[in-house]
Amino acid sequence: MLAKRFLRSVVFATCGIAIFVAAACGVDVDAIRGPKIEELYLVIIRDPDAQLLALEKGQIDLLSDITRPVDIERLASNEELSLSLAQGFHAFFLGFNVRKAPWDRVELRRAIWQAIPRNQLVRDIFSGYSAPLSTFLPPASPYCAEDLEAPPYDLESARRTLQEAGWRYSNGFLVPPGEDLPLKPMKILSPTAQVAPTTAELAQRIAASLRELGLPMDVEPVDFSTLIARLDEHAFDSYVLAWQLARDPDSLYAFFHSSMDVKGGYNICGIHDDELDAALEALRWAPDEEDARLAARRAQKLLSEKVPMVPIYSRYFVTALRKEWKGAVTTRIATADNVWSLLAMEPEGKMRPFYWCLPEEPRNLNPFTASSAYDWQVLGLIYDTLLTADPETLEDLPWLARDWKVETVSSGDGQVTRLSFILRDDVLWQDGKPFTAKDVAATISFLKEHRVPRFWDAVSDVEAVTVKGNHEITITMKNTSYWHLHQIGGLPILPAWQLASLESWQIWQPIRMIHPQKRNLTMLVGTGPFVFSEYRQGEYARLVRNDLFWLMSR
Amino acid sequence: MALKAYWGRRIASSLLVLAVVLVLNFFLFRILPGDPVSAIIDPRFSPQAKEELAALFGLDRPMGEQFLLYVKQMLTFNFGVSFLSQRPVWDEIRSRLPNTLILLSSAMAISALLGIYLGVIAAAKRGGFIERLVLWAGAISFSFPSFFIQLVMLLLFAFAMPIFPLRGSVSIPPPPPGWPAMIDYIWHMVLPVSSLVILGFGSWALYVRNLMVKVLGEDFVFLARAKGLPQRLILWRHAFRSILPPIVTIIFLSLPGVVSGAVITETVFSLHGVGRFLLESVTGQDYPAAGAAFFLLALLTVVCNLLADLAYGFVDPRIGLERKMER
Repeated sequence: MLAKRFLRSVVFATCGIAIFVAAACGVDVDAIRGPKIEELYLVIIRDPDAQLLALEKGQIDLLSDITRPVDIERLASNEELSLSLAQGFHAFFLGFNVRKAPWDRVELRRAIWQAIPRNQLVRDIFSGYSAPLSTFLPPASPYCAEDLEAPPYDLESARRTLQEAGWRYSNGFLVPPGEDLPLKPMKILSPTAQVAPTTAELAQRIAASLRELGLPMDVEPVDFSTLIARLDEHAFDSYVLAWQLARDPDSLYAFFHSSMDVKGGYNICGIHDDELDAALEALRWAPDEEDARLAARRAQKLLSEKVPMVPIYSRYFVTALRKEWKGAVTTRIATADNVWSLLAMEPEGKMRPFYWCLPEEPRNLNPFTASSAYDWQVLGLIYDTLLTADPETLEDLPWLARDWKVETVSSGDGQVTRLSFILRDDVLWQDGKPFTAKDVAATISFLKEHRVPRFWDAVSDVEAVTVKGNHEITITMKNTSYWHLHQIGGLPILPAWQLASLESWQIWQPIRMIHPQKRNLTMLVGTGPFVFSEYRQGEYARLVRNDLFWLMSR
Repeated sequence: MALKAYWGRRIASSLLVLAVVLVLNFFLFRILPGDPVSAIIDPRFSPQAKEELAALFGLDRPMGEQFLLYVKQMLTFNFGVSFLSQRPVWDEIRSRLPNTLILLSSAMAISALLGIYLGVIAAAKRGGFIERLVLWAGAISFSFPSFFIQLVMLLLFAFAMPIFPLRGSVSIPPPPPGWPAMIDYIWHMVLPVSSLVILGFGSWALYVRNLMVKVLGEDFVFLARAKGLPQRLILWRHAFRSILPPIVTIIFLSLPGVVSGAVITETVFSLHGVGRFLLESVTGQDYPAAGAAFFLLALLTVVCNLLADLAYGFVDPRIGLERKMER
């Protein structure tokens, strides 16, 4: 009942404003020791209804990413479950092709921002389980400038804005300044209702809003591959698309810098603006966090003036957990399905395996080529990174590195970023070997030397790696950027001995190879909290507690 | 000699079909909008990283070189490496085949046998209970979406009355190998198979009933009745035998569908099968996986067509004779 009441309060709170009511409980991550869970099964259940039945029947303990409001309401009324709800990094935008008329006119884009009733859309379509978005970064991002003023919904004001800029109406349709004929019919590209029903419905509602403003808009639903191809070829008027972003604001550079208006780039709108470019370059190459924050704010301010895309909504993430599991970590930006929960949780009474639902199979458990979120849901529990993020503030926290330093130093003609990490000295690999700086150096060098695509952006700017003793490493980059810290700090670290003998990383199947010394291990050896035990294809992955994990109480 | 020439021509035309499929398979996927690299929409994945990925997939090589490699792979049944899993495609298909074959072949065999039997009986006893059942079952199989029936079955027999499992083909943790594992597997397959039988037998029964109703009005059946032959003999030895060729055709032409799988059934019951593999390969533009899967399907279709031709001769000796006379 409490859960239901809490959720209702969220619904009411989100109906009118973009402020989110958090499920925060105040987390002291320093106090967490674990993992306590001894046996973890990632159970593959594909059908959303079957997932709910399995959760209610107690066949799984945790179900993430519940999206349908009706399901959330149903689970909220189940007294055996607790629901956590958090802001995510999801962002849904309406984008324009600003390379061509009429989208090249900024007053039109601004008017459109005013003419879309974002609050009402969220209320009608998501029953409140989403937040209207007014920023170009999701509100969960620490760099989101939420205080920047976004125009509220006001159709009359939007019409006035256009008329003041010289637009006029002819038979209810807008006529651009200096032209005699009204705008020709235009389309919003959208995925089909079969693939993305909510997006398709939103596209229809947005098109209806734009028609009210006087734009002859209609929706063109297309297959997802066609949608992406059309965007890549710039063959569109406008489009709607949802993005899963990250805590860093580097998406702004990818989305809006003129150098990204290339094949395979993400400047889909095609905005080329010197002022914006300068702000985005300042953001991308910011030497430290303070400069990065200022640059992120400046870029968002310019974007809210130039409006190459219109932010529409950001959806919440909802996770259900069986109440018999205690100690889950939930914050305003993290539901219970996080690594902190897996470290801290234990059942009431006798220990038993923990069952976590995977909606798709992890098809690739090779850390070099794994790409899907489901692959990394498994691999992320086995491999560790140098740094992690606080689940409440998203600030950097020590992980394999207990301390670090970001410096800007002179090198040749200019300045470059130098990252220094001091590593923990109590970390062991799952095969019992000590973890050292050589492992970190070997991982970075391997990824760079072999140009591994998934990690290429993180390591391509590495100039030199220097190891001092067993637990100190310095990485000198080719240029200056604060974000190098997160890119290098977020790399999964592999054992140096393994990398030294690895030939075909592209088709490496570590889960099918037995560890040369430890017969109970595969070659999937990390320093993470769980050890890979078995993957039964299409059925489940079994992991067991890593008793050598450095956060275990010893 | 004439028969040999006939089969020679049939095999040659089948090989031609396969060659066309082989070529189309390569080019159709590549002329579809988008490609496996541009399908990645992650702002953290730069255009440079995408170029590296294209190189990893071999998509940076000239098209001619890619085509020759593809033909070699298909003809040697070494289908290359899946873009999505970076595992050999053949391994991927092989791991999924058992579930799909067992699910769909057993469902097809049971539905066909049950449907044929009920169809014959329904035609023989017009207006009776069996005929009404057949008409209803036919209506259900054509009017209800499979996921609906399957979800209702899950709700009833795995949730409300938990007699069967909710997901997969194995319990977690799995039982010991041998009989316990086999019994566990059968237990997991009961719901998916029976759902397909419920959805499938009606159309078989309706089809056979309609064929039988027509045949039962023919002169040779009146003659058999006039000769005083028993009803069972008339039904099964005379009437049913005469409708066997179209039934055999349908059975053989349904076989490729057994391999291509049932995407919805595999999704609802979380089964690791070929159907979803095909779907994911096409939607994920996994060229090697999709190419191999469609090539194998085409091969199976061609083989099944040949087998159907061969089977006609067995079920209806007149056909073999006609062919000989035609030559």
